[in-house]
This record gives sequence, structure tokens and C-alpha cells, in this order.
Amino acid sequence: MNVANAAVRVHGLVKNHGRGQGRVRAVDEVDLEVPEGQTLAVMGPSGCGKSTLLHLLGGLERPSAGEVWLAGRRVDTLSERALARLRRRSVGFVFQAFHLMEELSAAENVELPALLAGRSRREAKRRANLLLDRVGLADRGRHLPSQLSGGQRQRVAIARALANEPLVVLADEPTGNLDSAATRDVLRIFEELRSAGQTLVIVTHDERVAATADRLISMRDGMFVDDTRLAGSATGWLGGLIGLEG
Amino acid sequence: MGRIALVLRLVLADVRRHRAQAAMLLLAVTAATATMALGLSLGGATQRLYEQTRAATAGPDVVALAPDPGPAVAPALASLAHAPEVVAHNGPYRIVYATLTAHGSASLVVVHGAAETPGTVDRPLVTSGHWVRAGGAVLERGFATALGARVGDRVTISGRSFPVVGIAVTAATSIFPWAPQIGPGGGPSDGGGLVWLTRSDAQALASRDLPVTVALDLKLRDPDATQAFIDAHRHIFTTKVNFSSWQFKADQDAVMLRTTQPVLVVGSWLLSFLSITGVAALAAGRATEQTRRAGLLKAVGATPGLIAAVLLTEYLALALLADALGLVLARLAEPAIASPTASRIGGVGGPTGTVIVATAALAVVVAALSALRPTLRAVRTATVTALTVTAHRPRHRPRLTALSALLPTPLLLGLRLTARRPGRAVLHACSTAVTLIAITALLIYDAQPRWGPAQHREGWGPGLSGVPDLQADHDGRLLLAVSIALIALATVNTVTLTWTTAMEARANMAVARTLGATPGQISAGLSVAQLLPALPGAVAGVPLGILLCGETTTFPFSWIAAAALVILLATTALTALPARLAARRSVAQTLSAEAT
Repeated sequence: MNVANAAVRVHGLVKNHGRGQGRVRAVDEVDLEVPEGQTLAVMGPSGCGKSTLLHLLGGLERPSAGEVWLAGRRVDTLSERALARLRRRSVGFVFQAFHLMEELSAAENVELPALLAGRSRREAKRRANLLLDRVGLADRGRHLPSQLSGGQRQRVAIARALANEPLVVLADEPTGNLDSAATRDVLRIFEELRSAGQTLVIVTHDERVAATADRLISMRDGMFVDDTRLAGSATGWLGGLIGLEG
Repeated sequence: MGRIALVLRLVLADVRRHRAQAAMLLLAVTAATATMALGLSLGGATQRLYEQTRAATAGPDVVALAPDPGPAVAPALASLAHAPEVVAHNGPYRIVYATLTAHGSASLVVVHGAAETPGTVDRPLVTSGHWVRAGGAVLERGFATALGARVGDRVTISGRSFPVVGIAVTAATSIFPWAPQIGPGGGPSDGGGLVWLTRSDAQALASRDLPVTVALDLKLRDPDATQAFIDAHRHIFTTKVNFSSWQFKADQDAVMLRTTQPVLVVGSWLLSFLSITGVAALAAGRATEQTRRAGLLKAVGATPGLIAAVLLTEYLALALLADALGLVLARLAEPAIASPTASRIGGVGGPTGTVIVATAALAVVVAALSALRPTLRAVRTATVTALTVTAHRPRHRPRLTALSALLPTPLLLGLRLTARRPGRAVLHACSTAVTLIAITALLIYDAQPRWGPAQHREGWGPGLSGVPDLQADHDGRLLLAVSIALIALATVNTVTLTWTTAMEARANMAVARTLGATPGQISAGLSVAQLLPALPGAVAGVPLGILLCGETTTFPFSWIAAAALVILLATTALTALPARLAARRSVAQTLSAEAT
């Protein structure tokens, strides 16, 4: 694999939680490269370190050891400020619990990353409308998160993650709180993103979600135990996914 | 009994878990109730001090003062001494208007020519040294305190030096600096201290062409009938005779505290308001946790009544404990505050029933206003909802959101944070306004030019300064103490409000971090959220402080403007630390905690 084309690369990544006898190794000597445009699914049981890995990739947590590179730039040594700027430009997060701001409408939530990045209000609004249209919520822009269904909220969160055209979207159990219909909607968006060449790292323990990826890594006890390339997803045909119809 | 024990156990457990909050409630309510108790006690305290001094010194019921020299004075005073209403008298004796210098200070004084063995009326109580002897001077205690003079010092009275042989108190004159009662020739007095010399020394002093008034102390058969006695004798003499009753002197004592009482009473209101602000902010910050706690109690069978009792008892018990502490503090401070001149003796007797009821009511109001809303919310919330309750959900404010989108990131975050809790922003604005009210009043008070009593109208000449203006100094000190208490409480409130805001907004701020906001922008946003309401608070506080001061001759505009600026800068500095600490929390941990 060409390192220069890797959107994300980690080497010897370790993350310990706690100290002394209570210390737990959440991520244990992990090496990983995610080429640009690849959709990577990370699976594993609860507590295996999937979410921690995602946080490390996005610079939300600092590794105990090892290196994290984003777009050819080492990021684990950056200051908090520089990391924040990097996230602003290069990373979009999607969370299981959506984490939308309850007092802001859907459109205002999507505008926020662009505003934080210093774009004008008009530009942020234009981009938010475009993204909401892309996720099928053009008519829900004025709605508050509390007025939206779980699936709609997650689609707003995805639109927000895309606001600054990030290098990579990191999704942590994006369908964990959704029913089948909403899961299908979200996966359809991910498929569109994948087709458009968006790099995606999705942490999940839902096999239906993992099946949409180009590549599947299985984790256990903080380590990668399997790394598989998935051929089925290359067709981009979601209808074949197990159990998503109806 | 079992229910009461259970309530107490739950209250104690909660207090142990939230010691800082309990300490803050105690501190705030103690300051408010102590100030209020002092303010309400002062009126009666001066009266009690005068009465005790009068009893200890055989104070006269009426003092007759004949300011015009002449042959008619002696018969007039003699007829008064032998009036049927009079049972005893002291004098006549000379009062000589002189000047006194000591330790580089100078003051107008009245010199009483006193008998070396006092009679049955007006027996000044010697508190230090001994009573007057030939060639020695006894200083009235309030005057000696202002002058900084002690037994053994030397004082110069209108050019003649005397050793201070004693310090004494009397009820025959008003407290320092109103000892002269009337000026030379019966005119208005410029005030001054009181010195006793022997009659012969006073006579020698009077022979230097100094103004003299002749005085006579009278004890009446009916001490309460002074006004009738004065009315009966006011206009019957061919020479001018002024009368001064013991009731007039008791009232005059209270005049010393005329400006003190409003400082304390208004100060106690402001302190109470800040107490409510701070404690309510803390209570609101714990509302979610309290609701969950109520849900847990309901789940195990507690009735709404029991839950309300648990939640309210904690605040009430702490507030009443603080009330008791405040009353004790007021009792300790009252002698110094009620008798700033040291001209009187005795104790002030402690707070009256009315004062105790008033401060208890204040404590209950603070507790109720702080705790009622979270308690009602906790009691009314359904059990299942209470167990899963999440943080306060703010209202959508599209216009403000659109406006903030035009601003730089810290202002954007700050404005939106402020809008999440408008009630809290109002409390913060009021807290800042209260601080500015106090500081403005202090600065205006300090800037006023004063013509102190006991001062020579043409000045004292090189190397001499007048004695301090005790009333102004006393009020200034009290105003400063109340202002410091207000500023301290406002400081605690600002830190509390910032921390509560930061804790409530931590999920949103963590999300903002994932979207690219830097820790600096987050902490700046939190600071801005406190600064935004502080601005209108400062703007409102200055005119309110000016209004509170009433008429003024000098207005220290530049100082007040600087104070407002300093308050705003201090708010920024005070919010920076809690905001920075809050911004340092791990984003991943915060989001994980919110998700569960």
C-alpha cells in the first residue's frame, strides 16, 4: 500500500486507561493504514477498544505510545490547538448518541463546523442546505433535534460531519440507536459517501453495517485479530444486505 | 420519629457529599444575617449604652447652660437649683472654650471646671488613671481615643501644658465630638472634645479671654418630666439659659449612627440577594442530580412529602445554622459598631426578639428561594423520568443563533452559552450590578469633602492636623467592610456560575471540540458567557450606586469608570480558571458519559 495515499496511518498504537494494578490496555500495539477512499469497518465485542481506537484516530484522546498520521502528517504530537484545527479541516465525527446541540435546529447544527472553521454565515448556510438535501432532510432544516426521529437525527449528524469536506469520517456505532429502517437510510448515505470517494472508518458491532465496508477489521482485547477485504460491498448494492428490507 | 431520623440521615449524607456547597450557603447566609442583625440592632443599642453610662455616672436629668456672662447668671442658676422639681444639683461650673494640641493633632475642646470630689450628680466614671487634681487634666474617653492620648501624655490647652492624669466617661454631655452642646455665646457649636480641669485651673484658663459658659447639672424628682421642667423655666430669666435633657443626649448618640444604619440595612439586602444568587446557581447546577436522587427515593418507596422534606431540610437547616452564626457575629461586633466613639460604657444586650425573627425569616427566604424550584421539580417528576433525567434542555433562539453566527468563535460560543440559561445570565448581571452599587457608593462616599467636627475654621497652622472625623471614619470602615463582603460573595458567585455553566455545557462543548473548536476557544467562550451579562450589570450598577448615595457634592467619575472596568476585567480573570479547567476535560470521556 502506498503510504503517501493513506488517509489514516497508525503505527505501534497503544492506549492504556488507569494506573498501577487497575491499568487496562484498551489498544495494544496496533498498526493500521486506511487508504484514501476506503471504507473500513472495525468490529468487536463491547470493551474491545474499538471506540478508543476511533478517538485516537480523531485526536480526541492521546495515545500512550505509537504514532498517528492523518494525510501524511503525524498528529499525536500536535498541541490541542493544532489538533482542533486538524479536526476542523480533516475529520468528521458521527456518534451513536448523535450529540446534536438540542437548542439548535438541524440546519444550525450542520452550519456549526463551517462557522468554527471561519466560513461566512452565508457560506455555512449554503453548505448546510446542500448537505441536508444530500441526506434527505431538506425539509427538516428548521426542526429541532427533539422534533426529529432517531434516524433523522443521525442523518443530521452525518451532514454535520461532512460540513467541512473532511479527509476522513469517523463513525462510532452510527446505527447503534436506530431501527432497521433508519439503519438502512444511514447505510445508504454511507454507501453514497463511499462511492464518492470519502474515506470512512466505522466502528460497529452490527454485521449489517460492516458488510457495507471495503474492509473489515476484527478487534479483541485491544488487538486486531482479523483484517479482511470485502468483495460484496464493491457492488455498492445495499439491497443485498441481510435483514435490512422492511 | 423514624421518618425524622431518616430525613436527617439523608440530609447529613448529602451535606457530607457536597461540603463546598454547604460551606458556601453557610458563609453567604451568615454574612447576610449578621449584617442585617447589626443594622436592626443599632437603634436600641445606642439608647441602652447611654442609659448604662447614665446609671454608672449619676448622669443629670437636665443641664442648664448660661452662655452670656453677667450678674444675672448666678441668680438664674441658683433659682433653678432650688426649684421644687429639683432634688439635687452639681455646679454651677465653668465651661471654657479652648483648643487642645497633643501628638501633632489639634482640636476644639470645652474645659469643665470640676470639683476634685464629685457630688451626687454627674460623677464621671474614671476608666483609666485617676480623677482630676490641680495641674492635671482628665480627658473624656471618646475624645482621648480620637486623639490617641493616654494617661501620662502631655496636652497643651490654649497654651498651657497639662499632664493627662485620667480618662473618664460621663452622661452629662453628648458623645465626642458633640461635647460642647452649644457654642460660645449660645451660638452653634463646631463640636469638640471634653477635658476636665480643677475649678481653679479652669478659672485660670478662663482668665485668658476665652469664651465661657456657666453650667448647672440638675437631678429632677421625676426624671421623665424633663420637657415639662424646661418648658416651665425656659423664658423666665433675664439672661439666656439653654437646657439640655438626658433624652436629647440619648437621641444625639443615635445621630452618630444615623448614616451607619442604612449602610448595614441596605448592605444586608444586597448580601441577601447575592446569597440567593449564589446558592440558587448551585442548586440549579445540582437540579438534575437532585431529580435523579428523588427518583431513586421514589423507586424505593419514599413519598413526595418525604422527598420534599429531605431536599428542603438541607437548605433550611444550613440557613438557620448560618442565621445563628450571623447573630453570634453580630453580637460580637455590635459593641464596636454601636459605640464608635468609646464615649459610652456597658453592653449592648444582644439581638432582640424582633431582630431574631427578622434574620430567621431572611434565612428561610434565602433557603426557600434557592431550593424551592429544584425541590418542586424533583417531587413532580415521574419516577421513571426522574431516573433517566438529563441536563436542562435550552430553548431554540433562532435570531440569536443567526446573530451569533456572524461573530468570531469565542463570541459565538459565549453568546449561545448565555442564551442557554437566560435566568442565570440575569442573576449574574444582578450580581455584577450589586458589586458596582457597593463600589460606586464607597468611591462617592470617599470622595466627598468633609468639614470634620472639632475643627478650627481658620485651620490649625503648620505641623498640626485635626482629630479624625469619627463618624465619617466609622461609616467609611463599615461601608468598606460591607463592600468587601459583597465583593467576596460576588467573586464566589462568579466562579460558581462559570463552573455550573461549564459543567452543564460540557457535552455541547465536547461536541464543539470534535467539530474543531480549540480548548482556548472553549474557555474563551465560557468566559464570554459570563462577561456578556456582567456588562449590562456594570452599566446598571453605577447609576444605582449613585442613586443610593443621594445628594453628593463631588462625583469621582474617572474612579467609578475605572472600577467598572476593573470589575469586568476581574470577571474575565475569575472565569478564566474554571473555564480553562472545564475545557481540559477529556472530550472522549465527556461524550461517553453523556451517551450512557
